[in-house]
Amino acid sequence: MSTARPCLAQLSRICLYSTRSTPASISTRSLSTTAAVAARGANAPPMESKASKLLKKASTNPQKNKKKGAEVSKKKKKTRTAYIQYDQRDLEQFTLLEAMRYIRAFEVGQKPTSAKYEMALKFKSQKNGPVVRNRLRLPHPVKTDLRICVICPPDSKYAKDAIAAGASLVGEDDIFEAVKDGRIEFDRCLCQTDSLDKMNKAGMGRVLGPRQLMPSTKLGTVVKDPAAVLKDLIGGAEYREKLGVVRMAVGQLGFTPEEMQRNIKAFIEHVKRDLNHLSDRINKELAEVVLSSTNSPGFPLSGQFTKVDSTITPRDLSTS
Amino acid sequence: MVSIVRRMRKLRALLAVRLGPGAAILPPEVTRIHMDFARAVEDGHWGPRKFWRNCLPRLKYHNPAVVMTVNRTEDQLGPAVMTVHFTNTAAAKSTEPEISSTTTKQISTGPVPESKAGPITVKTETINMKHRVDSEILDQLLKLTKAKVVQPTPEETREIRDIEEQNVKSARDAALMQAENKKRRREEEILRQARGSMDTN
Repeated sequence: MSTARPCLAQLSRICLYSTRSTPASISTRSLSTTAAVAARGANAPPMESKASKLLKKASTNPQKNKKKGAEVSKKKKKTRTAYIQYDQRDLEQFTLLEAMRYIRAFEVGQKPTSAKYEMALKFKSQKNGPVVRNRLRLPHPVKTDLRICVICPPDSKYAKDAIAAGASLVGEDDIFEAVKDGRIEFDRCLCQTDSLDKMNKAGMGRVLGPRQLMPSTKLGTVVKDPAAVLKDLIGGAEYREKLGVVRMAVGQLGFTPEEMQRNIKAFIEHVKRDLNHLSDRINKELAEVVLSSTNSPGFPLSGQFTKVDSTITPRDLSTS
Repeated sequence: MVSIVRRMRKLRALLAVRLGPGAAILPPEVTRIHMDFARAVEDGHWGPRKFWRNCLPRLKYHNPAVVMTVNRTEDQLGPAVMTVHFTNTAAAKSTEPEISSTTTKQISTGPVPESKAGPITVKTETINMKHRVDSEILDQLLKLTKAKVVQPTPEETREIRDIEEQNVKSARDAALMQAENKKRRREEEILRQARGSMDTN
């Protein structure tokens, strides 16, 4: 602009002269925005734009705009919107048999019931947006000793069905009495719809509420037919994505490699189906599959069952 | 999840599971090793526990089919015994290891019933582990079973050396950082105190 200014100044002078001779002609000022500058002469101080004027005004009052100034000096750090993905080339991968062999070595001498295989599935995913959560029944359930209490009249059809389906406690008044005495001998509690009023009157909420055992319609634990829900509850497992990772127990330590394979397959397929069922705009992919156990480090799985040159057979890993 | 590099570094512990005291291949006649000892270390139960923690994982890694169980009792004054179950050579070749199943799983780690024990046990040998350190127990076991000790391959020795070098380096770095952090904290403390005294005045 500075180089253009003298030229324009000259131009305006020419124009000024021309206006003298032809007063009826159109003013050139209206043609150019810079003509105003030009009209002030070449030696006039440069005109300030509105923005720079504001800035000058602001800089005279540093207290007021302190925050803004700090931001300018320190570059604002960009926040990450997706979960960080690491270079997969550093990843050492194991076949299922290898991983199980190591895990069984790490878990030697532990109680077979207390040590469990765990699986972690890492996603490529955004930090916001919906999370994957669902429940499934593994082909070989991990936790089978869940004690379930069903509240329904003890002589009803529901009671018989519930006992057949594997409920450990069925009844109404005797359960209320036991709970009030502090004898809570169950891990889950279901309630038949017709018994709901009776249960609410019995004042169980004070005891069961803090333990999150109180049946409620909202949680889906007040049901018409307890036996049907029982089947899902026993051996069912829930999973939920946390920080881009889904974790779940997939096996007991005593499982054979074939059983583990079936469980892992079922789990991963279930999660993949969930990923596909998310809305179109959300794109999540499976990034990593890691198998670990209660007392062992995590082993990234390669997806193969065994290697060709492996010396170890599934049979070796099947002993209790 | 933790970064991959850090996880992989942790996984180098696997090398320690493959090699070291206890890395030995037992002959096929050995079908089961069972350890009985107390939960706490008093009265000579220190060695068995160390053996379980340090040597047994390596044995299990190299002999995945051999059943190894640990039973820890509350009886502190009781014995600490290792029982090794042998079968005869013919049976070891013919019978396959018994399959654990989800339907009839074994609940406790205690001695298993005879019917579940896989190949028939011909004889059992016991090793007294009380008041013995883990290396002594291992020596006795190796002598008793005539196990073949696993030697590291050249590649593995190189890896072990690498890890050792890295450990030395990280120890040095840790000491450096510790000194640095200590200095920084001291200075911060002095500043804080100076500021505190100013406020009170």
